[in-house]
Amino acid sequence: MPISYFLVLSALLFSIGVYGVLARRHAVLVLLSIELMLNAVNINLVAFSALLEKAGLDGQVFALFVIAVAAAEVGVGLAIVILIYRNSQDTDVGELSLMKW
Amino acid sequence: MSEWPFLDIVVFLPLAGTLLIGLIPRARVGALRIGALAVTVVTFLLSLGILMNFDTGTADFQLGTSVEWIPEWGISYITGVDGVSLWMVMLTTFLMPLSVLASWSVERRAKPYFIFLLTLETGLLGVFVSLDLFLFYVFWEASLVPMYLLIGIWGYRNRVYAAMKFFLFTLVGSLLMLVAILFLYFSFPGSPTFNYQELLGTPLSLGTQRLLFLGFFASFAVKVPLVPLHTWLPDAHTEAPTAGSVMLAAVLLKLGAYGLIRFAIPLFPDAARELVPLVMTLAIIGIVYGAAVAIVQRDMKRLIAYSSIAHLGFIVLGVFVGSIQGMSGGILQMLNHGLSTGALFMLFGALYERRHTRRIADYGGVARSAPVLAGVFLFVALSSLGLPGLNGFVGEFLVLLGTFFRYRWWVVPAAFGIILAAIYLLWAYKRVFHGPITNDANLRIPDLRPREMVMLAPILVLIAFIGVYPKPFLDRIEPSAQKVVDQLRDSSALPEAAVGDADAP
Amino acid sequence: MPLDIPAVRLTGIAPEIALCATALLLLVIDAVLGERRNRWYLPALASIGLGLSIYFATEAWGTTRLELSGMVAVDGFASFVKITLAVFGLLTVWLGRDFLVRERAEEGEFYGLVLFAVAGMMLMAGAADLIVVFLALETFSLALYVLVGFRRRSLLSQESSMKYFLLGSFSTAFFLLGIAFVYGAVGSTNLYGGEDGPGIVSSFMATGASDVGLLILAMGLLIVGLGFKVAAVPFHMWTPDAYQGAPSPVTGFMAAGSKIAGFAALLRLLDVTLYPLREDWRPLVIGVAVLTMVVGSVLAVVQEDVKRLLAYSSIAHAGFVFTGLIAANDRGVSGSLFYLATYGITVLGAFAVVAVLSGRDDEKVTLRDYRGLFYDRPLLAGALTLFLLSLAGVPVTSGFVAKLVVFGAAIQEGYWWLAVVGMVTSAIAAFFYLKVLVVMYMQEKETEDAERVRSGPLSTGVIGLAALATIVLGLYWGPLIDVAERATLFFAGG
Repeated sequence: MPISYFLVLSALLFSIGVYGVLARRHAVLVLLSIELMLNAVNINLVAFSALLEKAGLDGQVFALFVIAVAAAEVGVGLAIVILIYRNSQDTDVGELSLMKW
Repeated sequence: MSEWPFLDIVVFLPLAGTLLIGLIPRARVGALRIGALAVTVVTFLLSLGILMNFDTGTADFQLGTSVEWIPEWGISYITGVDGVSLWMVMLTTFLMPLSVLASWSVERRAKPYFIFLLTLETGLLGVFVSLDLFLFYVFWEASLVPMYLLIGIWGYRNRVYAAMKFFLFTLVGSLLMLVAILFLYFSFPGSPTFNYQELLGTPLSLGTQRLLFLGFFASFAVKVPLVPLHTWLPDAHTEAPTAGSVMLAAVLLKLGAYGLIRFAIPLFPDAARELVPLVMTLAIIGIVYGAAVAIVQRDMKRLIAYSSIAHLGFIVLGVFVGSIQGMSGGILQMLNHGLSTGALFMLFGALYERRHTRRIADYGGVARSAPVLAGVFLFVALSSLGLPGLNGFVGEFLVLLGTFFRYRWWVVPAAFGIILAAIYLLWAYKRVFHGPITNDANLRIPDLRPREMVMLAPILVLIAFIGVYPKPFLDRIEPSAQKVVDQLRDSSALPEAAVGDADAP
Repeated sequence: MPLDIPAVRLTGIAPEIALCATALLLLVIDAVLGERRNRWYLPALASIGLGLSIYFATEAWGTTRLELSGMVAVDGFASFVKITLAVFGLLTVWLGRDFLVRERAEEGEFYGLVLFAVAGMMLMAGAADLIVVFLALETFSLALYVLVGFRRRSLLSQESSMKYFLLGSFSTAFFLLGIAFVYGAVGSTNLYGGEDGPGIVSSFMATGASDVGLLILAMGLLIVGLGFKVAAVPFHMWTPDAYQGAPSPVTGFMAAGSKIAGFAALLRLLDVTLYPLREDWRPLVIGVAVLTMVVGSVLAVVQEDVKRLLAYSSIAHAGFVFTGLIAANDRGVSGSLFYLATYGITVLGAFAVVAVLSGRDDEKVTLRDYRGLFYDRPLLAGALTLFLLSLAGVPVTSGFVAKLVVFGAAIQEGYWWLAVVGMVTSAIAAFFYLKVLVVMYMQEKETEDAERVRSGPLSTGVIGLAALATIVLGLYWGPLIDVAERATLFFAGG
């Protein structure tokens, strides 16, 4: 299978993720979109690792790292969301506007 | 050469004096005043040591020290005076105790006031004696902050605006100069150095010289100030407290002219020569414009401020005209303007303390209740407008003479400026001190107090002395002035030829 | 089959190990000893950990090699950054102590997170592979996200934590995509390449210029990710919000620490690995630098909150450091290091003053609250004046010298116009530093405080140290610049 298939898939996923971050107002959905972007990158890494001659196994190892870090990130992110929810009963990012430049 | 490093002690003594002031509790206003006065007087007495040890016959730098500071970058602590800076140093140390006397009425927040005033003195003196571009820049910028605070805290109603404008105008100019300094530093062929005397010989193409000259010129022209860049001056002068105005007019403005003489011309002589017409035009515009605008001012301090613009135009004209008479006249005029305008600000400051208004229209007939004040004011005004026999005449005459030798017709607008000066000063004098009394408060104005007489007497003596016998002053100025003139006229010509040439029309 | 254990040398990451171990120990001790009135032993332990990491970083000074299969570089550059970071960490811990006592907040977690963050930042400085850069980036970012939201009762703090977190993760995704593209373009993520495989540039040179487009794109994405951490425009959106909401000691730490960590990675990436391609990345970085300087300086002018003001100032300062980075010569690298170290100390000092003055709940941080400060608290106001003048780049302060080095480096490389842009924006920036001075010196206090703010002994010490460093480094910076110059980047394999 040509590598371009994977690259296009990854690009699509990444773009959907970017769209989600920019368009969604709910913190959890934004978090999900970011996860989507990270996984798009993982597809990229694995595809490069498996299909490119010059690339070794690094890409797949790297993908594992990304998965682990993403899990940690979600942990912290959800903790912040919960904290805010406790304080304000609301997790809509759009509502968070105590500060403006 | 003396064993004692008079120069360095004089520069840093005021800064050390701030520690003394810092120890005095802030409620003891009287002790603070006496302390500040003592520090400045001692500084002045020590600076007499510089004058005594100054060797008249040479154009070289004297009495300085040279210590490595940051050898990694070729930065050294190098000081020294020549005929140009000597009088500027003396002027600063001389006027500072008088400024302290003029600040006697500062009751509010006196402690920081005197601390900033003394810091300012060190900054100003440092600029005049630095012979390392880095050191020079440090002092140059460092003198900004205390002046900014003096205007901003103890000034009049619009003080914050004026202080801000003063700071930002100067800062933009200085930063451009800093780029030029760095450029010069990297252009120097030998091992990297900021040493002024070594950098003098840096080979630069005319195009580069022009850019770098403009970088320096931007900074100095703001400080002088030359006309399109002068708008900060009336505001700063008007809003500053009396001592601030005195230091601003008498010394701070001289930094610009001094910088042109010391740095802009010798470092980039070819570019300077090329741009002489431009600078002279700006100077002439300054003379006429400053005088013309001064005539229509209703605010006495603004009037004196605009008169400063005109006077500084004279100084720049003399410096750039490229003859020894013009140069020495310009340098002498720097001293004269410091004395006369400083005295004018002190006198008006005294008047302001009595009536709390700056509007000329609020005064009138003051001479009746305060005849001594009026007499002294007239004397100083006459000196400022160049009456023969007083100091202003000597300087202005030399400048005009030098201009006449080199550029005959430029004398006409310059001389016109002197006539205008007579108009605005005498007219203002008449409106303030004579005429009908429109306000009864003017009848009860007390005359000069002993403290104010003590403060003004030395200036009056000097004004008369320079007017009658300027030789000791010119003797010290001339060798150094000659050196700069040679650079401005033709750096490739032999010095002897240039000397002979300078005196001929 | 005998097991062949490779000789693992840990000089490169010993400081980080020390920090992580201390942090874990600290959390355990905090849990075991439980609630006590005075938990002085926690900051003391944190200080010991940071001291140890300084010791290990000093030990590594002088060695130049790659370790852990080419994943970590040990060089003067890394040591310099690590020592600087440890100093920032120390100041933050001390400052945090007073703050936490005042706010009655959990102490152990705070110090633990600070230590983890410092460890992550240190790893950034030594990272020799993009994987490690990514891990380090995430380590310190996660710790900072939590620290920003540390004022639990304040919704403001949590809001900024949230924003910082979302925008931070967003930019990390771009950074990661950049790494993937680098990997796709050259088949390696190693900045150097060595015995265990090729590096980015060596592979690139071997395969020829066929994939240069992809590599340039990847480079752009990497700059996005790191530019976010150093608060470069247009990736600066989070900065004012995060700075405003975070507890003041954390804000100072963020400004000082994440800036030097981000720039350390950028310097190694651009000035070493991608040095051969400098003509390709320079236009991009110059654009970012100019934008950063201009936007940071201009937007700061309208701020009314001191922390937001300092946030925009920190943006502008990122732009100034970029000029040293763009020069990409020795003076540029050492100048950037010097700049980041002195800026960090100055800004920590400034935030220390802000932290002391902000009072209970960290709330008095608008310019109104600073009116007439000089007549009320002359020493604090004097110290803040000094820090602000240093940030503005007025002589006799370290900030002036720092500007001089980076602009000097740019001029040396022929980018004198970039220095002119820097000078002009500095002048604009001076306006808002002066604005604070106007408030402190030239306006009158409105109301008397119910209770006078107190500066704790540790805060006083931090402010004093920072002020001393700002003055001393402004008058006699030779030794530090000398060390910065010897803190060379490992350059082999490029």
